[in-house]
Amino acid sequence: MQSIIILSVLALLAPLVGGLVYGIERKVKARMQNRIGPNILQPFYDFFKLADKRLVMVHSTHAFLGVMHFISIWVAVAVLIFGGDLILVIFLHLLSTALLIMGGFSTRSIFSHLGANRTAISILAYEPVLIIMAVSIYAVNGSFQISSIINSDPLLYKMPLTFIALLLILPIKLKKSPFDVAEAHQEIAGGAEIEYSGIFFEAIYTAKWLDYIFVYALVFLFGGSNYLLGAGLVVGTFIYINALDNSTARVDYRQMLKFSYFVALPVAFINLLITLFN
Amino acid sequence: MRSLQLLVLSLFALPPVAGLLLLILPKVLGRIVTILSVVALSAISVYLFASFDKPFQILIPEYSDKVVMIADVLLLVYFAFIAIKRKSVLVGLLTIGQAIALGYLIKLLGHHEGGIHAQFYIDRLSLFMFLLINIVSGIIATYSLQYIDEEDCSPYRKKFFMFTMLWFIGVMNLVVSADNLEYFFLFFELTTLASYIFISFRKDNESVNNALRALWMNQIGGIAILGAMIYSLSTIGYGTLSFQTLVKAAPTVGLLFPLALLAVAALIKGAQMPFSSWLLGAMVAPTPVSALLHSSTMVKIAPFIILRLAPAIKGTSLSLVIIALTGFVFLAAAISALAQDNFKRILAFSTVSLLGLMILMAAIGTDTAIVTCLILILFHGISKCMLFLNAGVLEKKFHLKSALDMDRLAESGPFTAFVVCIGFISLMLPPFGAFVGKWFSIEILGSTLRQTRGLTAIVMLAIACGGAVLSLLYFKVMGLLISRSGEKDKVTFETTHPLYNVNLILLLALILAGVVSLPFLLTGYFGPVASDVLGSAVAVDVQSNYSISIGTMNLPVIPMILAFLILPVSLFISLFIRFRKVDRVKEYTCGEKIDYKFNSFYFDTEFLLPYFKAVGLVFFALIIILTVI
Repeated sequence: MQSIIILSVLALLAPLVGGLVYGIERKVKARMQNRIGPNILQPFYDFFKLADKRLVMVHSTHAFLGVMHFISIWVAVAVLIFGGDLILVIFLHLLSTALLIMGGFSTRSIFSHLGANRTAISILAYEPVLIIMAVSIYAVNGSFQISSIINSDPLLYKMPLTFIALLLILPIKLKKSPFDVAEAHQEIAGGAEIEYSGIFFEAIYTAKWLDYIFVYALVFLFGGSNYLLGAGLVVGTFIYINALDNSTARVDYRQMLKFSYFVALPVAFINLLITLFN
Repeated sequence: MRSLQLLVLSLFALPPVAGLLLLILPKVLGRIVTILSVVALSAISVYLFASFDKPFQILIPEYSDKVVMIADVLLLVYFAFIAIKRKSVLVGLLTIGQAIALGYLIKLLGHHEGGIHAQFYIDRLSLFMFLLINIVSGIIATYSLQYIDEEDCSPYRKKFFMFTMLWFIGVMNLVVSADNLEYFFLFFELTTLASYIFISFRKDNESVNNALRALWMNQIGGIAILGAMIYSLSTIGYGTLSFQTLVKAAPTVGLLFPLALLAVAALIKGAQMPFSSWLLGAMVAPTPVSALLHSSTMVKIAPFIILRLAPAIKGTSLSLVIIALTGFVFLAAAISALAQDNFKRILAFSTVSLLGLMILMAAIGTDTAIVTCLILILFHGISKCMLFLNAGVLEKKFHLKSALDMDRLAESGPFTAFVVCIGFISLMLPPFGAFVGKWFSIEILGSTLRQTRGLTAIVMLAIACGGAVLSLLYFKVMGLLISRSGEKDKVTFETTHPLYNVNLILLLALILAGVVSLPFLLTGYFGPVASDVLGSAVAVDVQSNYSISIGTMNLPVIPMILAFLILPVSLFISLFIRFRKVDRVKEYTCGEKIDYKFNSFYFDTEFLLPYFKAVGLVFFALIIILTVI
């Protein structure tokens, strides 16, 4: 009973933690560029500013799908925190991305359409790697249940290549350079999220925080029962993502797909084969 | 027991009788007869499932063997007639081949007199198929009453179309209950005949060509079944021509060749590559035909046969090749679908792809895999039926065939757009049944990795990539449907004929009810059916932590309920909700004022199709070669 309460609190606080992660990220990124950077709480100030804006939308379908994107990603994160089935969590996350894509398509805006198209392509790029990752974890651990993965031996030592594959596709998932084609501010002005504003953009904005939690929780799983190792991996991944974001230029979506299918996916697959034949 | 047998017999007899009545009755009476008979069929199949306790056979008079034999010969004569009339060498040659094989079989059978006279075997799998066939096809039949009425042809042809559809439903009921392979062969060939009649219905050149293609491809399947019969008759240990004895004897005899031939027949019916083109060619027929072939009947014979064979082929080299082939087809068909713009062709390729997944699950043959296969068969049937019937509405009402023209359908036909979205989403996202099938497939493959290693790992990769490609494909269509400008805010529902509307709402209700009752379906429906397929009990239990375990797998109920609240409900609300006190803005276009034609990504994957077919052919050859050695 007590653990359920703790988990519920964790799930409820997930957006707050995500906001903090985002705040730290902006700071770290700024320092990497020799800037001072904003206050760590800046994302929350932005949050209140957005809440205060005039209510504006293109049409109701579009606005509502944005809100549902936020709620559904929260559900995916909650199921992850409660230790549910890993494959189901990946699919629930797909569901939330699906709502964002549908939202992007629902307006008659060029940039929004382009962004939604590219988000769909991104799914094509990272989804197989995530599923192979889940299956490899099963091959090592004998269960898809996150609650049992978190109590097992550290996965990192048994599947280092899978972890590398995950690192390779994380920029796609988080829309970071060099794989930020779905957002690409200079090109398509933010993609699927461009037509959202005010309180509706708030939903998309907070959903991004939850996305951080989702991704770093996946990274944390590789530590298994060694929570310290898990935390170390999260910090390492965090620095890697930001350093990469700062130091690379965007590639186009074809290159991204090719990279994912000819580099990241084989890397994950080789690890799966090694596990099987051991 | 006696009454159950009579009810099953009525499932066989009622559809053709209703069809014949339809031919002589005037239009309105014909409609009433059709609707009454499909309601009766559905009620009977539900009653049968509810009151069933153990498998039984149906006793039939001895002379029916002769009737079947004569019908076989007559059918071949008709095929020969088609070959001559349409000047098709291929059909002619295959008919001659079938005739020789059949003649040899009759000669062989002469020495095997005095067999049993219970040629039909009804177990839960048959009843499961009855439910799907009669309810979903019944919906299609009532829908096509209106559809075919709007078709441009003579009143007699319209009646003839409905007649064919009804007797075809009867034949499908026969196919899934036949135990004697001789009978099964006849019914299999009759479904082939039905596909020929359906596809050539419009009588133009393309229709006839595609119909001939469907005919000769399925005739190969017929020859395979004949070969299986001849081989098992002349092999010591098999002897009789029955599914049950064949499957029971296979482990001791150790020869899988007849089973391999039956599997080949199944894979051809199931339009697996390289034989996918007959199903894709079926698009030229009136849309209800596509709905019928793709959802509840025709192609579902494929997973049905493999399910029947599953206990015997599980873990053999035969099942490994089938797994490899279908895993490959799942990915290849999904990739080929990306290049398509025609709505019906997109649906057709996705059928081929998902059929691959169903057959794959049946070939794995563990208890959870069988349950998954059944889930997929049922829910894919309902979802695809809904999508195809919608394709018909799109054609007749909105004059849309290409997915690219469906831009802004959410404005002109919000209900249609909503139904198409739910249809697509049910195939890929939680919490829908077809999704559950996909999800379980991945978990089952993951859990069988240890035993088969390399092969399953590669199939796993194919499934992971194919799933992502299919999602991309569905987004491609949904993205255009849902697009809407901010200016038109009022929801005006399209007015379609009640026969269209009612049937679509029925299917929608079936899908949603399927989600809500999935836990109950698993324990009370899929579990028992899977037990009958495997001949051993499949444990489906409700766990204390709100999850349902099937063998080693868990279906957590709470996330599924959450997903149900999010997806279908929010999609519904989002299409019809209107925020009042929010100001409007125009879309951002970077200050440019240009007309922009909204489009979706175009993927040039058409050129891959011949390669895919070549690989498929290699797999088919492997099936035969491996089992002969």
